[in-house]
Amino acid sequence: MIIEYCSKLYPEKLRKIENPPSRLYVLGNEKILNDNAISVVGSRTNTRYGEKMCKLFTKGLVEYNINIISGLAIGIDEIAHKTCLENGGKTIAVLPSGLNNIYPSKNKELAKEILNNGGILISEYEPNTEANSKKFLERNRIVAGLGLGTLVVEAGYRSGTRVTVKYTVEQGKKVFCIPSNLDNIKGKSTNELIRKGAILVTKVDEIIEEYKDIEFTKKEIVHKDIFLNIPKELHNIYKILNEKPKDMNEIILLSGESVNEVNYKLMLLEMEGLIKELPGQRYIKGIN
Amino acid sequence: MLAKRLKTILPELSIEEAIEITKIYSISGELKKDGLITNRPFRMPHHTIPLNTIIGGGKIPKPGEISLAHYGVLFLDEIPEYSRNILEALREPLENKEIIINRLSGNYVFPCNCIFIASMNPCPCGNYGDEEKECKCTQLEIHKYLKKISGPLLDRIDMHIEVKRPKYEKLFAKAKSETSLEMRDRVNIAREIQKKRYKNYNIYSNSELNSKMIEEFCKLDGKSQIILEKAFEKLKLSARAYGKILKVARTIADLEEKENIEYRHIAEAIQYRSFDKKYDN
Repeated sequence: MIIEYCSKLYPEKLRKIENPPSRLYVLGNEKILNDNAISVVGSRTNTRYGEKMCKLFTKGLVEYNINIISGLAIGIDEIAHKTCLENGGKTIAVLPSGLNNIYPSKNKELAKEILNNGGILISEYEPNTEANSKKFLERNRIVAGLGLGTLVVEAGYRSGTRVTVKYTVEQGKKVFCIPSNLDNIKGKSTNELIRKGAILVTKVDEIIEEYKDIEFTKKEIVHKDIFLNIPKELHNIYKILNEKPKDMNEIILLSGESVNEVNYKLMLLEMEGLIKELPGQRYIKGIN
Repeated sequence: MLAKRLKTILPELSIEEAIEITKIYSISGELKKDGLITNRPFRMPHHTIPLNTIIGGGKIPKPGEISLAHYGVLFLDEIPEYSRNILEALREPLENKEIIINRLSGNYVFPCNCIFIASMNPCPCGNYGDEEKECKCTQLEIHKYLKKISGPLLDRIDMHIEVKRPKYEKLFAKAKSETSLEMRDRVNIAREIQKKRYKNYNIYSNSELNSKMIEEFCKLDGKSQIILEKAFEKLKLSARAYGKILKVARTIADLEEKENIEYRHIAEAIQYRSFDKKYDN
């Protein structure tokens, strides 16, 4: 679907930015474009800490009925999208390419899941356009433009995230940063942004407090299993695992599968980096 | 307890095997009664055992415990308690399935094709990784304890399996289990398949495959190869571990009576190398 600038469906927030796209190509649920949303952005090569924080904050935002905007890139972007879906939220992905050329191709599955769960894909480019480095930066103004503000999870010294932050500031919106250790090279930009005046946040409520004129309603989180790039035969086992360690016997009992089946499936999941084995034959869903 | 039960699922002895075992027992003066030995031996030497008694030796060399366990089971309970030189001396015989003892009067070769089983705790106090009991060991103590088993020795062990403290009423009541007899039937079938496959190669089982035979009998399809490659990258496995994984996978496939090794067999075999996965030994 194409949304022209003059159309009623064109998101109001985007209309107000300095250089709005003349038309938007969209796929999915365009009704959510005017809902409350926060952009969650960060490094493509995040650390474990970044992943953990991204999950924590995304979940918290979804709890306040806030949609998550990001760029469908690898790293923080995909974690934000995925966590949002897992917690029953709606998410907006702004592509650096045409809708027929989902970039990166690794995240095609994720794009599909976003659509299946009431989310939307947006691009300002013709459907067959290929991604290039200029477009990565250009689309960041839409990422910033659609949101109430931008949350930066982790960003290295030179990072596209800084461009998103620049646009956010230009558009007069708030920038939130999650602090990092000083020796975390992926935290260089976030810490610097905080020093220059971005809002340091330690919990989601601190983001909410910044928007006094908006009333957010809290909702109950319903967990949803999102199987991305996981072969169907492994779903049963993957579903059983969560952040709390479960031991082998428990997994066997809960899955109702035989010992050797559980063994080989756990192995495959572990090789994919989806789960982790702890001492004592216990497994947790994992930190990818 | 688990290790002792293993005896009950081992395949039956063939007549050639029985004669070989009886010969070894005969020359070491261990034959208790006349006639053939018809059961697979189970040897469980205590950790205070001297080196000569386990490897074999003496002025006129006699077979040691590893040879007395030929075609049977050699079980070392609490393996970190055994002295380092005993454990390291086991390396070559476990690999070559025979031990050569050199004396002035000549060289003696004793066979020792046994199943080697060892057990240990996860840490000195035994509670590391337990959900209920707290482990009181420091990271250094745990590291030191695990380091008693050298990498090369560990490499020669095909399967590493962690077992939890059993909670009978909770776990075993519901889970369906296979009896030893049923297991033994499956083992016998797998053994027959292997015997048939290797009849022109003068070996009985998968464990005896050399690297050339591995290439021939453990062919992998594309998917299995990718899994194995990933595992190597991630677990930093050795070349020896590669052969071991293929042999175990071959055995799992045989137990399922499958002609070829499938990706799930490979994955299961890798899963049994938990030490490589967790303890960076």
